[in-house]
Amino acid sequence: MVTSDIYKKEYDVIVVGGGATGAGTARDCALRGLSVLLVERNDYSTGATGRNHGLMHSGARYAVTDGESASECISENMILRRIARHCVEETDGLFITLPEDDLQYQQTFIEACQRAGIRADRIDPAEARRIEPAVNPDLIGAVRVPDASIDPFRLTVANLLDARLHGAETLNYHEVEGVMINQGRVEGLKLLNKHNGEHVEVRGRVVVNAAGIWGQRIAQMAGVGISMFPARGALLIFGHRVNNMVINRCRKPANADILVPDDTVCVIGTTSDRIPIETVDDMRVTREEVDVLLKEGVKIAPSLATTRIIRAYAGVRPLVASDDDPSGRSISRGIVCLDHAKRDGLEGFITITGGKMMTYRLMGEIATNAVCAKLGNTAPCVTASQPLPGSEGDGADERDAATRRYSFGQRAAIGRHGSLAARIEKDNDIDNALVCECEGVTVGEIKYAVRQLHVHNLVNLRRRTRVGMGTCQGKLCSCRAASLLGELNHDVKGAQEDLAAFLDERWKGMRPVAWGDTLREAQLTASIYEGLCGLDQAVSLEGKEDMQ
Amino acid sequence: MRMDTVIMGGGLSGLTCGIALAKRGQRVAIVASGQSTLLFNGGSMELLGNIDGQAVTVPLEAIATLPQDHPYSKIGASRIGQLAQEAQSLLADAGIEMDGNADRNHWRITPMGVAKPAWLTLNDHVRIDDLSQLPAKRVALMCIRGYFDQPNAMLAQGLRGLGFEVEMKEFTTDDITALRRSPSEMRATSLAKHLVSNSALQRVADQLNSLAGDVDMVLMPSVLGQNDTTDIHNLQALVKKPLYLVATLPPAVAGMRMQAQLRHYFRMLGGTYLMGDSAVSGTIDGERVTSISTAKLTDMPLRADHYVLATGSFVSRGLVADYERVYEPVLGVDVNADADRERWTRFGVLEPQAYCRYGVATDDQLRCLKQGKVIENLHAIGSVLSGHDAVKMGDGTGVSLLTALAVAHSIKGDK
Repeated sequence: MVTSDIYKKEYDVIVVGGGATGAGTARDCALRGLSVLLVERNDYSTGATGRNHGLMHSGARYAVTDGESASECISENMILRRIARHCVEETDGLFITLPEDDLQYQQTFIEACQRAGIRADRIDPAEARRIEPAVNPDLIGAVRVPDASIDPFRLTVANLLDARLHGAETLNYHEVEGVMINQGRVEGLKLLNKHNGEHVEVRGRVVVNAAGIWGQRIAQMAGVGISMFPARGALLIFGHRVNNMVINRCRKPANADILVPDDTVCVIGTTSDRIPIETVDDMRVTREEVDVLLKEGVKIAPSLATTRIIRAYAGVRPLVASDDDPSGRSISRGIVCLDHAKRDGLEGFITITGGKMMTYRLMGEIATNAVCAKLGNTAPCVTASQPLPGSEGDGADERDAATRRYSFGQRAAIGRHGSLAARIEKDNDIDNALVCECEGVTVGEIKYAVRQLHVHNLVNLRRRTRVGMGTCQGKLCSCRAASLLGELNHDVKGAQEDLAAFLDERWKGMRPVAWGDTLREAQLTASIYEGLCGLDQAVSLEGKEDMQ
Repeated sequence: MRMDTVIMGGGLSGLTCGIALAKRGQRVAIVASGQSTLLFNGGSMELLGNIDGQAVTVPLEAIATLPQDHPYSKIGASRIGQLAQEAQSLLADAGIEMDGNADRNHWRITPMGVAKPAWLTLNDHVRIDDLSQLPAKRVALMCIRGYFDQPNAMLAQGLRGLGFEVEMKEFTTDDITALRRSPSEMRATSLAKHLVSNSALQRVADQLNSLAGDVDMVLMPSVLGQNDTTDIHNLQALVKKPLYLVATLPPAVAGMRMQAQLRHYFRMLGGTYLMGDSAVSGTIDGERVTSISTAKLTDMPLRADHYVLATGSFVSRGLVADYERVYEPVLGVDVNADADRERWTRFGVLEPQAYCRYGVATDDQLRCLKQGKVIENLHAIGSVLSGHDAVKMGDGTGVSLLTALAVAHSIKGDK
């Protein structure tokens, strides 16, 4: 459907927010036969969804402090292994006790896991060193739990794809500017189309506010108050995978106590700091955050001290004060679903927030239940059993991918897109050519992403295909990819601006850790793009930030 | 091993200095890791391209206005013109045929079609002397099918912006198609390796001739001539229209060729080039370096009267930044760099970055300092020097060539 038709239509439900929660809600609504529009102010998964560990919690981390969250996690963990197989890597996790930790806590931890239904096996430190050689060899205790690694970008896109396959429509780069209310009922949204600066309106019978930390602003526009407590967490990505299992500290949750293997890299995090709501858009990582992450990370896996750090990033958790405690002292990490008709007397408006990336599906189900109750829809929720696009079938293709039948690029693509990799173009002799050698992204995969996965620019492309996410951080592949995008979109000037914006976005994450090889890489990139190519003369970066 | 001079680093500055000294009868050894930033060279040398974002027209005039800590100022602005001529003839002696002069910059064409000020450009690369008088009106831009290290559409748009009428044509030959069977083989260096035989070049020429049409000039990516310019000249002779090359993204065949030509020339002059090795440490006795050790010659330190540090910037590991500080890793000589990590860089990838100006501290004769004291027989040349910014000022290759020659003179005691 062309965009201008979307503006004219009335939908059953409009979902605000293109993170995992919004995408999961849109998919659930679409599967239950509702007409759905999802709007997102930037690219999909730009908020907290794209700025976390990529950890598929077993729930063990919350077992001692928050049994309810722990139970939710393990139940969703088992569901995602089935429905989102191509986004999950079943690594398992360790909770390790170091000499400075209290070994007594381990027993408390195991009992709490058992109460929450999480398998937790105490293993010998020697066994832990054997199954995970990266672990701090000084550990005095270890517990094995069903943690895993998950790709949140891929997960979000798979949900959006399925939503669209079931009739949903999606608008990214459309920012909410106002909520249209008539006689106590929400009727639609005023949006800014950031592609062309146009102000437009969209109409729906119910609006679901799934905008994460930005949901407070959306609620304000609707005249209702929600007290959110932005908790910022910073993380570091290392240049290769030092560990093959998730490694956690077996103690009360604290700074930098989880190391997760993600694809070709690993991630240490997080810090946790309350920040003022006004600063949630400033995601630059500070020197202090880097220092604490490194200091603590090395305790989990000593080899991190000598492993190159490729970037630093931060995200904001949307924690919400429970309604009976406006002071904010009892803040929950649990899921909060507010029907503003009951709470504030405003019909047609639902907020779904709190929770975790991990529980996005359950949040989608809860929000959709609330929508259906309003619209008199009685269709049951099927998202816990129906696989996402890419994870259908028995996985034979993916297993085949491990054999020599496929090239590096094809194997990488199957890893990223699961059964959808079959749709990647191979219609001519150059579609197999590698654009990004670190991550094995081919010309065909880029064409597929541009045509099927809403890719307008290089940052979008990175989130869909991992172009430029590897150790070189897009040194050469970003130019190759920009050039291809320019040709596919018939916009060469745009491609150059896009390339500069992409390099700037990469630099934001590199700068806080710019020493050692990361600084070398930065100088090399500057030598190529400014010195050799003169990209700085060809474009200006001013005013480009909004489109990321 | 006893030498007159040992040079640490075998890139543009190290080789230039080595050649200048070997020519004058010195026994010279160069310790070279094998990597060089010539790998990113666009087929040109730049004396001084920009000051505060403005293109420089007359480099010799602009050099006179540079601050005191710039390597050119240390050499002495008045000597630059003469050293520049000397550099140009040294390059020509090595077989590197470049045009240009230090009195007036010309324009090189970058892989993205941007015109950047340059001092010398390879004869076979496209260049513009005067932006108001282009060397051709209609050009055919020949794009190699499946080769992605030339952003063709950006290049074409840039050329059109400069006033050329550009026709883009895609071509391939059996030799090139065969390369594409491996998805990662379509790099400039593999093309250069395979486009060498007369028949392979004839097949390229046939394509160019049949596609070119009625144009004044044919342009193709600089993917020819691994070791010398024979293949380029052969192809130019086979193509009916004037054929010029355009720089590509790395690896840059032309830069690697220049490196090979300089190395060959240095060896012809009797120089010792220790390839694949690097200086790891040295001993300093009072005010003099007495020996340096390399990674491979562990039990045989190199001894010489003079030592030259030509190890490059961060990219080449001539400078190292760790979590806490910036240092020079071989001899631990003094560096000019901010102590506070926060000041090394700033957000905004295209902003000037302070680290690009970091380097070793020297006196006016480019001699290194350690704890503030001059080391009499240790000079620094090229990108390891502080006070210049190859990225923002376009002075990297010029500083490498000219500081190398100035130090060679100083070692020989010339005035």
